[in-house]
Amino acid sequence: MSASLFRAEGLVKRFGGLLATDRVELTVEAGEIHALIGPNGAGKSTLVNLISGLLTPDAGRIVLDGRDLTALPAHRRVACGLSRCFQVTSVFGANTVFDNLLLAVQAHAGSSFRCFGRRSAETRLHERALALAHALGLAEVLHRVAAALPHGMQRRLDVALALAAEPRLLLLDEPMAGMGPEDSAQMVALIRGLRARCAILLIEHDMDAVFQLADRITVLASGRVLATGAVGYIRAHPEVQAVYLGSEAPA
Amino acid sequence: MDSIFVLEQLLNGLGYGLMLFLLAAGLSLVFGIMDTMNLAHGSLYMAGAYLAAQAHAAGAGFATAVLAAVAVTVAIAFLLELAIVRRLYARDHLAQVIATFGIILIADDVVKAIWGPSPVMAAMPAALAGPVQLLPELPYPAYRLLLIGVGLVVALGLYLLVSHTRIGMLVRAGASNRGMAELMGVRVGRVFSFVFVLGAALAALAGALMGPISAVQIGMGEAILIPALVVIVIGGIGSVRGAFVAALLVGLVDTAGRAFLPPALRAVLPPALAAELGAALAGIAMYVLMAAVLILKPAGLFPARG
Amino acid sequence: MSRFDAAPSAVPAADLAPLAARLLPWVLLGLLAAFPLLAPVFGLEYWLGFVRRLLIVMIAAASLNFLLGYGGMAALGHAGVIGVGAYTVVALVDAGVGSAWLAWGAALAVSALAAAAIGALSLRTRGVYFLMITLAFAQMLYYLAVSLSTYGGDDGYGLYTPLALGAGVDTGDEAVFFWVVLAIAAAVFALFSRVAASRFGHALMGIRDNETRMSALGYPVFRLKLAAFAGAGALAGLAGALLASHNAFVSPSLMHWTESATLLVMVVLGGLGRRWGAPLGVAVWLVLAELLKLHTEYWHGPLGLLLIAVVFLAPRGLAGLLARRRRTA
Repeated sequence: MSASLFRAEGLVKRFGGLLATDRVELTVEAGEIHALIGPNGAGKSTLVNLISGLLTPDAGRIVLDGRDLTALPAHRRVACGLSRCFQVTSVFGANTVFDNLLLAVQAHAGSSFRCFGRRSAETRLHERALALAHALGLAEVLHRVAAALPHGMQRRLDVALALAAEPRLLLLDEPMAGMGPEDSAQMVALIRGLRARCAILLIEHDMDAVFQLADRITVLASGRVLATGAVGYIRAHPEVQAVYLGSEAPA
Repeated sequence: MDSIFVLEQLLNGLGYGLMLFLLAAGLSLVFGIMDTMNLAHGSLYMAGAYLAAQAHAAGAGFATAVLAAVAVTVAIAFLLELAIVRRLYARDHLAQVIATFGIILIADDVVKAIWGPSPVMAAMPAALAGPVQLLPELPYPAYRLLLIGVGLVVALGLYLLVSHTRIGMLVRAGASNRGMAELMGVRVGRVFSFVFVLGAALAALAGALMGPISAVQIGMGEAILIPALVVIVIGGIGSVRGAFVAALLVGLVDTAGRAFLPPALRAVLPPALAAELGAALAGIAMYVLMAAVLILKPAGLFPARG
Repeated sequence: MSRFDAAPSAVPAADLAPLAARLLPWVLLGLLAAFPLLAPVFGLEYWLGFVRRLLIVMIAAASLNFLLGYGGMAALGHAGVIGVGAYTVVALVDAGVGSAWLAWGAALAVSALAAAAIGALSLRTRGVYFLMITLAFAQMLYYLAVSLSTYGGDDGYGLYTPLALGAGVDTGDEAVFFWVVLAIAAAVFALFSRVAASRFGHALMGIRDNETRMSALGYPVFRLKLAAFAGAGALAGLAGALLASHNAFVSPSLMHWTESATLLVMVVLGGLGRRWGAPLGVAVWLVLAELLKLHTEYWHGPLGLLLIAVVFLAPRGLAGLLARRRRTA
């Protein structure tokens, strides 16, 4: 009986004739940053969607903290400790940063069916939102409208929203996407700082970031796990080099 | 309920379905390609009906009247697209619904001002007023046969246009992936105008042809809009083939429902209940069909978009 | 992402200038309360019934504004649920019930259930499919009403005895019933304001703006939408019940889909998702229609022009226009 924080066992997903996920096995340990890499079309997004609950697997199990999540809908998995960010920044653009954080925090502090009390009077929620803002360096921009923030800050807000759930495992789907070198460096530092809070499953194409952050790496190709192991092991793995690292220059 | 009656009703359903197709094809293309909900489509149908009735009553031959009605409606549609509809392509669906609803209101008043509030009699062409002996025991109105004939010819023409001409290819490209079509250099604006005007022509034709056998009155556009929307949802948005199949299905189900359900229910239920239930069920038959299709195929029968 | 979701307004309740905004509702309320007393003085008795109908339609419009403007659910079946409320009253009166509390209360409950049932089946769909399915349900209810000969069918049903509220309150009296309706409308308005500022309201707006993210944040999105749907349905049914008493008559025509469309138009005219959207839209539309009808038989056209003007010149509705003016003034 493995003591891993998170286990995906034998996950299979078909889309018509296409086998997008082929008996994938994946584990993530507590306190670990586990990177998921692979060429385009390898099935990384499908796998993340299976784990977060947007897709239902044709076979296999998902276990977090000893709890079987496979039958739970996406929003229930969040309550069990699984949180995610999307590939494209997904925040509430028309609202202020503070309102964004309040909304995220509200989901985990009591019922959202309460319809009579004014939310503006709930100081506990405000405190939690503020704490989150400070932890992620968003305190300066609390009252700015989210859509008006520069790309890097929006991404940070994105991560902050996912952290409101105080997850045990955080799924980050290409957090460096569309970022210049400065923003990327900041994001790398941010992710590294999150290690104390939760384990992280990180999908990325940016190899610099991957090698800086990851404890272990899983390589996916054509829906199957090609190799799993420590950074050094993966870097030296001949099949991985052939399929992936050889054909793609580091970002 | 004998087989002659059944056959007659099926033919009626076919005719109604084909007219619905003319209306729905344009609506589906406009929604599928320009992502625009155009409620005023019904008003173009109404315009066709009124103009044809007017021209025919003024002495023009029936075919001339229909063509004239289509031509004038096409001109109106062209101006409408230029002035208002073009500016709606970039807006959200709700804004489009409100604006085109406004057009419906204006059109209703214009029609009232020209022709008055009472329904107008659209005379049937004398040559087609009689029945045709299809089978020894089945006399069928010649005019309804004309509808079926014209409907099939236009459907064929539309099919050829969409699948065998260059403009048709552009239209299909726009329906399945507008962004990509734009990137590939398709003159999207021109294609949009073409689609809109084509849809208007079809709607006007349907209106002109339906005039003699239905009521030409204010509000006829709104009334036929709902069945048309049901057709495009069942058929799949943006698909002419889908609109064809769905329109026939809706036409048949609606006509058959109204004709066969009350007698069928009377056979098993007490008469009062049968009458009530029959009327209710006949009215909702096409919605039940729509729900059934959507459960099995949530994007309709032949969704144009990938 | 469906393009049928309404343009969001993140601007919260107080979008007018501070003091004037705070006083205005109370002034209006006072004027309305005094209206039955003032009307005979100015010979405006006809308008008493008109304003009362306005208030009832505002209740229905407010519930639609909540559903669509705050919740992002574009349903075209509101008139159907209004009809459920009206016909619940009819059914009870037909069975001998004379108490307004019972009849209107039942209308609330039955409408909530009907809306919940429709929502349970429809809320899994989005965009134009959601629109068409809710329309389909409303049309089914319409045809059901037309075919129910016990309740008059197409000819309608007359409610000859006013319902009793007890404590000497005579709903048959024009002025008294006006005050009853005003009290209910004010309560409904206050309720919606409260709910919009509550956790539930904020969650709903979040769903409107980014449903996928809300689900990823852990919100039970389907259940929240269903609750909003049922709640809005309950109030629409209440409006239907009040309409039944107001007209002393119910016919299936109030359930026709064009009634749903008109309600939608009024809400968008007033300003979707804005606190004053429903009252403003209903008032402007119905008053304008009434004034136009007095002068010409061609009153549809000008209203149509107004709609087109609003779509291009005031995309956030009249309430949005006023808010913008205040901010730049």
